Amino acid sequence: MVREKETTLYIGPQHPGITGNMMVKLKVTGDTIVSASTHVGYLHRAFEKLIERRNWLQSFTILCRFCVPEPDPMELTYARAVEELEGREVPERAEYIRTIVMELARIQAFLLWYGGQSGSAGLYLVGQWSVGDRNYVLDLFEDLTGGRIYHMYIWPGGVRRDLPKGWKDKALKTMDYLEKRLDDYDKTLFDNTIFQKRAQGIGVIPKDKAIEWGVVGAPLRGTGIKHDVRIDEPYCAYDKLDFIVPTQEGGDVWARALVRRQEIRQSISIIRQALDKMPEGDFYNKVPNPMKWTVPAGYAWAKTESVRGEVGFYVESDGSNKPRRVHVKGAAYTHGVTVLEKILKGQNIADVSFILNSLGVCPPEIER
Amino acid sequence: MVNLDKENKILETIKTTFNVEGRVIRKNRVEINAKKDIVSSILLFAKNQQGYIHLNHIACVDWLEKGKFELSYIIWSPTDKITIFVKTLIDREKAEMENIDNIWDQANTYEREFREMYGIQFPGLVGDFEFILEDWDEMPPMRRDFDTNAYAEKTFYQRPGREDAKDVREELTKQSGEVIPDFAKKYSRE
Repeated sequence: MVREKETTLYIGPQHPGITGNMMVKLKVTGDTIVSASTHVGYLHRAFEKLIERRNWLQSFTILCRFCVPEPDPMELTYARAVEELEGREVPERAEYIRTIVMELARIQAFLLWYGGQSGSAGLYLVGQWSVGDRNYVLDLFEDLTGGRIYHMYIWPGGVRRDLPKGWKDKALKTMDYLEKRLDDYDKTLFDNTIFQKRAQGIGVIPKDKAIEWGVVGAPLRGTGIKHDVRIDEPYCAYDKLDFIVPTQEGGDVWARALVRRQEIRQSISIIRQALDKMPEGDFYNKVPNPMKWTVPAGYAWAKTESVRGEVGFYVESDGSNKPRRVHVKGAAYTHGVTVLEKILKGQNIADVSFILNSLGVCPPEIER
Repeated sequence: MVNLDKENKILETIKTTFNVEGRVIRKNRVEINAKKDIVSSILLFAKNQQGYIHLNHIACVDWLEKGKFELSYIIWSPTDKITIFVKTLIDREKAEMENIDNIWDQANTYEREFREMYGIQFPGLVGDFEFILEDWDEMPPMRRDFDTNAYAEKTFYQRPGREDAKDVREELTKQSGEVIPDFAKKYSRE
């Protein structure tokens, strides 16, 4: 028997199929991956160290940069941890606005993911459509927060400003438009044989190992396990709204894609309900002068469901005007390292970026 | 009235089994304080016998004043929906903690990070020594006594012509004779 030669192959950090500045070092025989290891550090800016030198509000300019495609869960999770440390109440209207922001963030991150996932299968048209449609969601963010990508809109105690005049109508019309577009995406991506053949049966996460491996979010629900922070530990206004948490069986790239596809319709429904049920009233519970604002000593652990999965913030205060430690756990920390390294074994080289996209890996979450 | 029966039950089970301190923080949150040599036993017990199969996170805080690092192992049960914080303090000097990547594989990533960022050693830890940093021979940078400013001044330097940190735009307009409009001037450093 002839033993095939083992070759080392580096995918990234500059590679169109890599979801950010990271590298996957592969050992391959022929086209088959024997082992994989993740290498990060290409955009390490010491976010967590920088936060230790800033006051409680200044941290927001850094927090949103933990994940460019989806910065809002970072703001919300940190704000909720600080609120828990302080015992600060959040007005009900602000909780509804936060819910809407989170679901808009989910929709726009999903549309961006559409682009990455379809592009890595060679279906570029879908990506061009979805990134174009994402701009309509970013328009809503711009009207609401002043920023398209980074918002710094959710603050401890509520949100920075109320909904602008006419925003509700614009949001509802955008949701109607996006809902119609989902059928077009189904025809071009999910009904497409190329995508089906590429996605089915690859990058499988075994159901019995998923939770133990630290898999969260859509990849976990793609194995048939129904866990979602919005249901397990409801926050914002999620416990007052009706929605289902979709699951699929199989644990492969196809199952993860279907879960995300089903979630988007739920997000549209959540936004409509939240806009309808939102009470009048305050949107902000004022915090003290940020330069003199101290938070009681202690620690808090808050977690939020992002489109990539669970985002957790461990926030420790020593009673001063700066956080003692903000330690961030994003979904990519496990998905992008140990989970990716495991499921890449035995796969084809051509499927690396396809699998990577399906896990929703965001490298700044790993190196922070 | 919030029902904390489930939280109290798991707290009592761990307290009596391992003779450790702990408290119920609030609904779905339980804290255990243990010495470092029994942390892995508690985690293994919680995972294999109590259903806390998900390692949410491992957090590290540097308490420079006390000469300690605080490690918090955050675990979660999908059936109880409770989060347990298993906390322990270790000495900053010759910091060492038991390796738990035989319990959860993903702990390996945290441990490699702490080895690099705090200088905590985990005997038996396998994995590339460099995780995030490259060719780093300074003090582990997440330690509180690492002086970022001194490091930046020692390592980086101003580009020639930028030693005085002057506003480049102003310098260029002086050379070309352009006039900066008033609305733009307010952002200048002078």
